Amino acid sequence: MNTEFVLFGVFAVMTLVSAGLVITARSPINSAMALVSTFFFLAGIYVLLWAHTVAVMQVLVYAGAIMVLFLFVIMLLNLGDAAHRGRPTVTRILGGASAFGLLAVLAVTLGRTNAMPANLGPQEQATFGTMAAIGQSIFTAWLLPFEAVSLLLLVAMVGAVVVAKSRI
Amino acid sequence: MNLPNLTLADFLPLLPAIIMVVAASILLLSEVFLSATASRGYQAVLTVAAAAASGAVAVGLMFEPPQEVFLGFGVLDPFSSFLTLVVSVGLGLAALSAVGFLRKRGAERGEFYALMLFASAGMSLLAMSTEFITIFVNIEVLSIATYALTAYLRRGTRPSEAGFKYFILGAFSSAILLYGTALLYGATGTTKLNDMVIPLQQALNGNPALVYVGAVLIAAGFAFKVAAVPFHMWTPDVYEGAPTPVTALMSAGVKAAAFASLVRVFLTVGKGMDPKLPLMLFATLALLTMVAGNLMAIPQRNVKRMLAYSSIAHAGYLLLGVAALFVAAPGESFRVLAASSLSGGTPLDVARSDALRGILYYLLAYTFSAAGAFAMVSALERREDEEKGTAWDLERFAGLAQRRPGYAFAMAAFMLSLGGIPPTVGFMSKLLIFQAAIDVGLVGLTIVAVLSSAAGAYYYLRVVVYMFMHPVPEGAQPLERNWGTEAALVISTVAVVLLGILPGHVTDWLAQAGTLFGQ
Amino acid sequence: MVPITYYLLLAAALFCMGMFGVLVRTNALVVFMCVELMLNAVNLTFLAFARMHGDGIGHVSAFFVIAVAAAEAAIGLAIVIAVFRSRGSVNVDDIRTMKH
Repeated sequence: MNTEFVLFGVFAVMTLVSAGLVITARSPINSAMALVSTFFFLAGIYVLLWAHTVAVMQVLVYAGAIMVLFLFVIMLLNLGDAAHRGRPTVTRILGGASAFGLLAVLAVTLGRTNAMPANLGPQEQATFGTMAAIGQSIFTAWLLPFEAVSLLLLVAMVGAVVVAKSRI
Repeated sequence: MNLPNLTLADFLPLLPAIIMVVAASILLLSEVFLSATASRGYQAVLTVAAAAASGAVAVGLMFEPPQEVFLGFGVLDPFSSFLTLVVSVGLGLAALSAVGFLRKRGAERGEFYALMLFASAGMSLLAMSTEFITIFVNIEVLSIATYALTAYLRRGTRPSEAGFKYFILGAFSSAILLYGTALLYGATGTTKLNDMVIPLQQALNGNPALVYVGAVLIAAGFAFKVAAVPFHMWTPDVYEGAPTPVTALMSAGVKAAAFASLVRVFLTVGKGMDPKLPLMLFATLALLTMVAGNLMAIPQRNVKRMLAYSSIAHAGYLLLGVAALFVAAPGESFRVLAASSLSGGTPLDVARSDALRGILYYLLAYTFSAAGAFAMVSALERREDEEKGTAWDLERFAGLAQRRPGYAFAMAAFMLSLGGIPPTVGFMSKLLIFQAAIDVGLVGLTIVAVLSSAAGAYYYLRVVVYMFMHPVPEGAQPLERNWGTEAALVISTVAVVLLGILPGHVTDWLAQAGTLFGQ
Repeated sequence: MVPITYYLLLAAALFCMGMFGVLVRTNALVVFMCVELMLNAVNLTFLAFARMHGDGIGHVSAFFVIAVAAAEAAIGLAIVIAVFRSRGSVNVDDIRTMKH
């Protein structure tokens, strides 16, 4: 037993518990708070995977920006206590069952991968997952998807303004 | 730092999308200076001009030799250029039918046309993407623009609910597609389609389950986008709730771009796999989609909803063509040869290339017929009836031949084309797909396709019967005329008839268009 | 070292929990949060495989996924607000009253 295993165990259990709260909590506020904590524990797991930059982004963008937007909308619409439970329709039962089915398939498939982390040399260790390495890729090799993302953000901005406008 | 060696040639295939984005930016910026009541006639004109320009550029690009661009993230090949042309046609027709639609509702705004242009730029980029993250981002560009367009109108509850349903199922299916991508990345160590072929074969020898689960998840994600049964449940509500010109754009452009990407992805991912697996997958989807789409359309009296179900059925015929691409002789891997090397291919090679040609022809045919039909629906609907849901009832078409013979003739042409009845383009394109499917040996499935399209003819012809044989209902309001709608009707009618009687020229041209890079 | 398989199984569990939530919950905002859970599971998968291959593709992909998630959040929440304005509720059951 070493520290890495202990940390992974703690983060993994906490991630699953918070995710469970997201899908079971009765009020959307509780779901949102549970989601924030899921994001934080996931960021911890990312650090264990040596993805420090993505972990920072996870906290800044997801927990910081996206979740604030969610909370803002919940407050704006005053959705404090929606204690309504869905009727168990056929779609719901089939959907829930298919999620379990997919989990079984994935567990068997991924369980067989037997994957271990790559052994990185000191040179690679120094650059793996750093902001410089990621930034260099994005602005050189990944130029096309980067430009597409810039278009996407513009479209999302225009779209959000159009949809949230009260009168057209 | 090693900068990639990009040349002007890398940006060439982006040109149609750049034209659309520039036009959209002009519309957004000029809207700022307009008062609420200012005349906005120029907006549709600019949109149509941009569509025409990008379509013309796409035709020019079809004669460029196939090549990788942006270090393998995209590709310039006749296939992607042809799809851009289809998207431009869909955009132009949808924008023309939007003129009257928006004016009647006092909702003409630059943002509407700008979002249409953004969505089309995303479709054009999607057709040329050959890397999974790029594909995903471009799917999101076109989806987010269409979500916003669906919820554009603030009239009653329908548009926003349709927008919400579309959004949730769209985001859900994107997540599924992305998860499949992540699994394939795990199996191969790359996200570029062209780099994936060799590692995929190694992965299939090592841990094939990972590849198969990834491929199935990607197929499920695409099945949502093209509205294949059983992933179609969003289609009727969204098509009905969205503004009619947006429905036209969705049924023509979104579907064409998603099919293009599906074909491109699976022609690579399927390599090295046992060809039976993609074949079974797409044959099953095709069977369910054709049969269920047609059966569900039959009881619909609401023409807009009927066209939504019919678009599901058409996705089924297209999936039949896709399934035909994956038929291979034992021990052979399927491939689609370029037109130039066809003469040396086996009969199966020829049949598979015919199937690809059939898919392209079908997409063009469906774009003209469906966009025309939706233009007609938008010409007849009145917004007062929308909330009651009677705006699109068959009764609205009763006696149209007496009130507006030209309209009735155009609508009849679209219905015949959608029903696959000669001498229209719909017939020719169906023939091409069905023939290719028989040539590769999918006889049973083709018989089902023929039977279900015969059943489909019933609900298309019912519209024709209402237009020509039913009396004009009493108290019918006069029909407003609009130049945009009439232009859309004329263009689509001419195309539906001309492409139907001159198929030889078109298929020669399509043989060229059916050239994919790396095949 | 913790085997990558554990991370992958955690991601799979998270993905299926998200999927379960999307298909079962009724509150529109919670359904949307469950989509975010699914996207996070995908990111975890990308990062785990990046660690397995020892390359940066997974990291860059995760970056793009975060950007897309932000764009989706903007448009999705705008649509939720539009639905709430027109109907006064964000309950999926109310929304599905459109006839089938």
